[in-house]
This record gives sequence, C-alpha cells and structure tokens, in this order.
Amino acid sequence: MRCLIATLLCLLAGVLHAQEADLLHQVLAELAAHPQVRADFTQSRENPALAQPQQSQGQLVFVSGHGMLWQVTQPYRETLALTGARTARIDEQGQLQVIRNGDRGVAQVSQMLQSMLTGQPEEALRQFTVEAHGSPSRWTLRFSPRQERMARVLSAIELSGDRYLQGIDVEMQGGERTVIRFSGTRDAGTLSPLEARALGMP
Amino acid sequence: MSPRGPLWRAALFGAFALGMLLLGSWLLFGRGPLPIQTDLLAMLPATERHPLAEAAVDQLAHANGDRMVLVVADADDDKAKAAARALGEALTGQHVFASVTAELPPFDLDQFIAPYLPYRFSLLSDADRTALAQPGYAAGQTLARRLNEPFLAGIGTRVQDDPFGWLQHWLDQQPWSRSPLVPEDDLLTAHRDGLTYVMVIAALRGSSYDDGVQREALAVLDRAWQDVGHDHPGTQLLRTGTVFYAAAARAGAERDVHVVGLASTLGIALLLLWTFRSPRPLLVAFLSTAVGVISALTVTLLVFGQIHLLTLVFGAALLGEAVDYSIQYLCARANMGRHWRPQDGVRQVRPALLLALGTSLLGYLLLGLVPFPALRQMACFAMVGMLVACLSVFWLLPALSVPPTGKPLSPSLVAMARGWQRRMMRLSQGRAGLAMLALAAAVALPGWWRLGHDDDIHLLIATPADLAQQEARIRDITGIGNGSQFYLVTGDTPEATLQHEEALAQRLQALVARQQLDSWTGVASMVPSAQRQAQNRAALAPLFAPGAALEETLLKAGIKASVAQAYVTAWPGQVLKISDWLSMPLSLPFRYLWMNQHDHSYASIVLPQGQDDVAVLRGAADGLAEVSLVDKPASVSALFGRYRQYASLWLLAALVLVGAAFAWRYGRGAVRVLTPPLLGIGLSLAALGYLGQPLTLFHWMALMLVLGVGANYAVFLREGEPHTAHLPGASYASVLLSAVTALLSFGLLGLSTMPALQHFGITLLLGIGITALFAPVSLPASETYP
Repeated sequence: MRCLIATLLCLLAGVLHAQEADLLHQVLAELAAHPQVRADFTQSRENPALAQPQQSQGQLVFVSGHGMLWQVTQPYRETLALTGARTARIDEQGQLQVIRNGDRGVAQVSQMLQSMLTGQPEEALRQFTVEAHGSPSRWTLRFSPRQERMARVLSAIELSGDRYLQGIDVEMQGGERTVIRFSGTRDAGTLSPLEARALGMP
Repeated sequence: MSPRGPLWRAALFGAFALGMLLLGSWLLFGRGPLPIQTDLLAMLPATERHPLAEAAVDQLAHANGDRMVLVVADADDDKAKAAARALGEALTGQHVFASVTAELPPFDLDQFIAPYLPYRFSLLSDADRTALAQPGYAAGQTLARRLNEPFLAGIGTRVQDDPFGWLQHWLDQQPWSRSPLVPEDDLLTAHRDGLTYVMVIAALRGSSYDDGVQREALAVLDRAWQDVGHDHPGTQLLRTGTVFYAAAARAGAERDVHVVGLASTLGIALLLLWTFRSPRPLLVAFLSTAVGVISALTVTLLVFGQIHLLTLVFGAALLGEAVDYSIQYLCARANMGRHWRPQDGVRQVRPALLLALGTSLLGYLLLGLVPFPALRQMACFAMVGMLVACLSVFWLLPALSVPPTGKPLSPSLVAMARGWQRRMMRLSQGRAGLAMLALAAAVALPGWWRLGHDDDIHLLIATPADLAQQEARIRDITGIGNGSQFYLVTGDTPEATLQHEEALAQRLQALVARQQLDSWTGVASMVPSAQRQAQNRAALAPLFAPGAALEETLLKAGIKASVAQAYVTAWPGQVLKISDWLSMPLSLPFRYLWMNQHDHSYASIVLPQGQDDVAVLRGAADGLAEVSLVDKPASVSALFGRYRQYASLWLLAALVLVGAAFAWRYGRGAVRVLTPPLLGIGLSLAALGYLGQPLTLFHWMALMLVLGVGANYAVFLREGEPHTAHLPGASYASVLLSAVTALLSFGLLGLSTMPALQHFGITLLLGIGITALFAPVSLPASETYP
C-alpha cells in the first residue's frame, strides 16, 4: 500500500501543485488506514430519460485489494460483488453468477472507480487528471477524464469525505448525474463466509 | 560424316546455349520483380478437400500476412506511448506501407451503438434470451436494476434507447468489447505485469514474399526504430508478421545458395585442376555444366513462371551431378593420350552416358510425379539440366577438346583408385563376397531396427526461435489467434452458413465454460442467423404484446412518458442481414471472415483463441454438418507422411526398373552392377538409424537420387573398364572423381539452414559415399586381379 502511494505521488508530482499532492497523499493514506470498511449508502440518479430521480439504498462493504460488495435493499434486494474487472451477482442461494467479465471501453470507468477505492490508483491516474481541494478533515478529489474519447461521455467524478469517504458524484455528458452518500461508515469487522467468498478472499 | 559436321553441331549448340542465356536473363531480370518465390506454403500442394478451405487459408494469410504487428513495451507508461507515437509517425508516409495504425482516428462511441439501434430487438445475448424464456420474467426488476446500477448507468447504450440493457449485453460480447487492447490516449494499449504495451500495425503495400517489399519494409522499420530507440532508451520493440519469417527464410536460403554454390564450385575446380593438371578440362567441364544449369533455369521459368528458392538451392547442388558427364569425357581424353580423336571419345563414352542419363531421368521423372509444386520444379530443373549437360558432351565438347593432351590423369589418384579397386574386388569374390555381404547386413541390422519416422512439418521448416518467441508474446498480449488453425463453416445460403456457425458456437461456448478455450471470433456472433434473430424477437414478443403493459412498467419505473412511448413504438425493428453488416464501417476489420465465392457457396471462418491442442478443437467440430477444422500444418504433415510411404514404394519400383535395364544390358552380371547402389541405400538407412534421425519424405527423395547416381557409377565403371585396360584403376579414378564432385555439391546441402535440405544432403552424403566405395563390386568376376 505504501509502495502504491509512493508510486502515485511520483506520477502526480508533475501534475499537482505541491499542496494538492500533499492533500491527496494524506487522503489516500487516511483511506488506506481502513482496509475493511462497511457503510450504508443511498444512491440517487437523474437521467434525461427519467421523469423523477431513481433512489436506491443499501450497504457497502469494501476491502482494500479485493473489491466491494454492493448490497441493495431498496427498492429491490440484490447483492453485487465488484472485483477488478468482474461483476458478479449473488443469488438467493448464495451462488455467484458472473454478469460481466473484462469490460472494455467506457465501462472501465466503473472498474477504475472500484480499484481507486480499493487502493489501486494507477489505472485512475492513467485515465484522469486529479484536482484536490480542502483539508484532510474535509476534502474533495475531482477526477476529469484525460482521454477525449471518455470525456465525450463522462464529465467528472468527484469523491468527497473526511476520515472516511462520504460521497461520490458522477456527472455524465448526456445529462446523467449520480449522487452516492455514505453514512455510518465503520470498520467492517469480521466478514461473513459468504462475503469473503464473494470477494475472493481466503 | 564430313569433318565439318561436328563443328556445325557445336556452333548450333553454342547458339542454342546463347539463346537460353538471353531468354533466361530476360525471364529473370527483364520483367519487373525477380520471379523468385520464397513462400514455403507455395511449394506445397493443396491439402484440403474443400476448395473453399484453400481459399480460406489464402484469405487468412493475406489478412494476417501482409502486415507487421509491432508492440512497443516499457515500464514507463508515457515513454511507451511516446515511443509508439514516434514509431507510427516515422513509418507513416513511407511508400512501402499502405497504411500505419498507431494513433486511432477520432471516433465517437456512438459509432459503436447507433448502427445497431434499428436491429436492437433482434439482438440478444444468450443469457438474456434464456432468462426471457423463463416463465415469470420480471421486466420491472431488470429495469430497476439497470437504472440503479452502482456509479453509472448511462454507459454504452443510452437509457432511452435500451432501458433494459439488452442491446448493451449483446454489444458487450462483440469482439471489440472483448479485446485485451483498449484505446488509451488514442493508442491501442494493454497493461500487463507492470509494463505498458502499445500496438502499432503497418500494412504492407504488396506481398510479404515480395523481395523488394521485404527489404524496404525491414530497412524502413530498422531505421525508424533506431531513431525512436535512441530517443527512448530502454524501450522494447516486439515484432511479428509473415514478412519477418519470410525475410529470415530468404536470408537462410540465400546463404545456402552462396555457401553450397560457391564452396562446391571452388571445390570442384580445385579437384579438376589437380586431377587433369591443366586448365582446359576445367573450363570445358564448367562450360558444359553452366549450359546445363542455365537451360534448366530458363525452362523452369518458362514452364512455371517463377522459381522457388528451394529449387535454386537444389540447383546449386545439381552442379555436382551435371559435371559427371564432362568428367567421363575428359577422363577418356586423358586416358587416350596421344591417340585422342574427339569423335572416338564420344563414341567411347556414349553408351555409358546414355545409360546413366536414362537412369537419372527415370529417377527425376519419379520425383516429378509427386504432386508437390516444389518437387515438380526440382524434377523439371534436374531433367533439363542433366539432358542439356549430357548433350553438350556429345555436341559441344568435341569441338572444344580437339588437341590431344599429353597429361594423363593425376597418377596418385589413379594409384589410389587401383589400390582400393583391387582390395574391393578381392573381397567381393566368391565366399568372401558373401561373407562381406552378411557382415554388412549384421552391422546394418541394429541401425534399421532403430529407424523411425516423423512427418511433422515444424521439423522441416526451421523457425527462428527469437521470432517465434516474440510472436508468442504478442499473441499473449493482444489476444490475436495463431491463424494456422481455424474452423471453416460452409453453407448454400448465408442463412444456412450462419446457422451452422451457431451450432459450432454452442460447442465452443461449452469449451469456454470448461476453461478449455479463451474465446473465438466468428461472423455469427456479429450477425446472428435470421432464425436466431427470430428466436430473439419471439423471446421479447410477449413483453411487447398489446396487453402486456410494457409501457406502464416503464412509466412506473420513472421513465418519461415520451421516452417510453418511443421505445414501445420502435418494436419490432428490423432484421440484421449480412449485407447490412458488411456495409457497416465497424465490420471492416472482420470482413475477411466472410467468404462468398459464388451463388450457393458461402463460408465463414471462425478463429479460436487460447487453445493450442488441436484434438480439443477438432472435438468441438465433430459430428457438426458443414463445419470442419482446418489445420494447415497438420494437413501438410499428414500429406508428407503419405508421400513418405509412397516414396519407399517408389524406391522399390525404381530398383526393379533399373534392375530390368541392367539385366537387358548385362544379363546375369546385373546383380553385381546393382550391388553398389543397393549397399549405398541399405547402409545409409542403417547409418540414419544409428544417428537417431527420424526418416522424412526428404530422406527418401535423397535415397532415390542415391539409386540414380549410384547406378551411374556402377555403369561408368563397368562400361569404362574395357577401354582403360592399359591403365588399371583409371576408370575407377574417373568414377571417384565424379563421386567427390557430387559429394562436394550435394553433401554441402547438409550445411543448409533448412532442415528439409539438410536431411536431403546428409542422406546423399552417406549414400553416394558408400556407393562410390563399393562401386568396384560391379566389375565382372573374370577380371579378378591376382
């Protein structure tokens, strides 16, 4: 992890002002200090095709280096395991069902976001320029696509938080906007056997 | 006959030779690029029963063959990309490249989606079709899941076009979505093991086998990479493409032509100088051989239009056999001393030469019956060369060797020959002879016992290890298949073809599920059959039925009324036809997978990736109608095996033919004349067994030549001996001279870089050497030396 952060800082040295680099360093170090986190989330999505925003809520478990479990409880029940390039659904019997494997093109954004949150920022830094604002106790990281191809679809991703990640905002060029807020963030404690298996942990 | 006769004939022959030279030069140099073929596949016969399969092999070779695939690698992402860009720029605009793809042209993601919208209700992934067919499919839930996907939903297809994500799921399976290479900074990039790999593709203007294209392309690449490498030290370049293999093969063959041609010419020259101790015989012998080789080249070019490098290498070696005829004539001249009259010399050697020519032509004729284009060329080349060289002895040489020579053959050679001849003859008489034969058989037996065979084409074509390694790495990084094994799916109509391919796809999917295959690329996954598309629409139809209230489901999920209405109205859309697909720009990189030779004959090529075990691939096609696995290397290997078996039978047949010719001339003595070549063949086989060399077709071809050449020696000796009664050993000395020249040329093929020629050379070296040593056995028993 420290090694990753060092790499990250080297990569950013030329791009970021010293202050910003410093803040990013602190934020990532703070996030990395909690390798297993559980939080409640609400996700709200606006889309030009939607008459009113979509709302969903549930629980998130993320484990540094392995991936995350996205457990929706409202308005339907579903658990997704997002690990690297793979997305799998866990059905009622607890069986993993791969929905997507090795997505390419813009679908990489989601993958990039996962790896960013799970402590693997190289991919993110290849694809995005990062601006850091605020202080370690209240920060915002704004990721703008470097690739023109992607910039035509995606405007920006904004992460914000304090000791923990508190929010993710995703803005699309087509007018879609997704706002995710986290609450009750805490160390995950021991994972259930199903959770561990879904994340491919021993 | 008037004394002018021989002169006239010589003049006519000279004019003929000059004509051949001029015609040959024009054929070779006067018609644009050198008509020299280096494509190893071109030397092979058609191996596939289905004519479309051969066309498919060609089409694939063209699609994959006439381009360079370059991959720039560096641990530093920016450096790898900068180097790839610089390389792309350096190659772009060079005449030898028709196009260079490094930086991708700007394009919209929309281009990947918009063309499919009219067909969206006909295109479903297998998983969706199966799910939709389940009773109680909850469309509302699928919709809610799609709209509430974590982080992003509007990726790929827009919600208004594809609210349920069905089209997106189908697009996710398209080859461009699955490629390990992703566009990044407008470059095709892969990240692996801490390295960034960037692909650059350069399409050649012309064939990889074209000499000019090859040289220029490699030179331009080397120059470009030198500059780029200088600016970006430490960056690696991986390269693959037919052009690199072809260039390596050409360099190897050219080296062979030079080494074998030069070394044998020099060796033969020195040998002749030493034996005849005068430059005139040397010049005469070379003139005769040169006329033969030039005529052979010219006629081969006339008959075949081009000449294969293999034939040239073989031709360089043929020098050694063509020179035999003039050697016999010149030896006769040396042996006659001051009584020499050119026409007497011709009369003296004519029977031996004609018999020898007859057996040689017979041998090469058998070679020419093999339906291998390359072997036919060699046979044509050899037959013309031998015939002209022999005729030159009858018609040209007498005019050039009028004065008698005062210098007999080198006495040390004659003495050596006489010594060996005596010993050999003593040993070959009566009981001693039979004992010798038994001993030879006993020595040979374990060798024969160890003989095996191996027809694997890979053993016959040497691939530079370095190139093979780079290719393997590039295949690994880019996911490009190996191209030498593929499925050919055929049908009377496009629809039938696609349906057959879908049956295959089902089998391949099972292999993927068992992790025995990574993936495959085929047309049916990009254009499903009309039947499959109808199934897809049938799976969706209940949802769009008037009473199904799909619009309400959409509205309830929060979709705008106008959007919901537009979506429902778009049903059922159109059927995607192969012609629609072919006209999409997106299909361009995959169009070579579809073949339409004429009405009622369609085919598609399916490329499997990530499985090198042919048995597994073959199993997937088992029992499927109109689907076959085309495995060119295996077909060629099987063909070689078949001809190897035929070749051993032919050798037997040739032995019988030659034996019959000998029996007609020598009566019971034929057994003795046939013994040296028989021993040559038998002991060579034993030696190959001891060497542990598995037999290939080329070994057997060489053994056919051993028979031809070996029979010549026995004949030369048997026919020549009565004329040199005053000079014991002189006749055998001339045979030894012939043998050494043959060894110098054919034997040097053993140094060839091409395993096929190497096998050929080693076998000849053994066979001719052994035959020459045993040649005195052919002399009649009555002429026993005391």
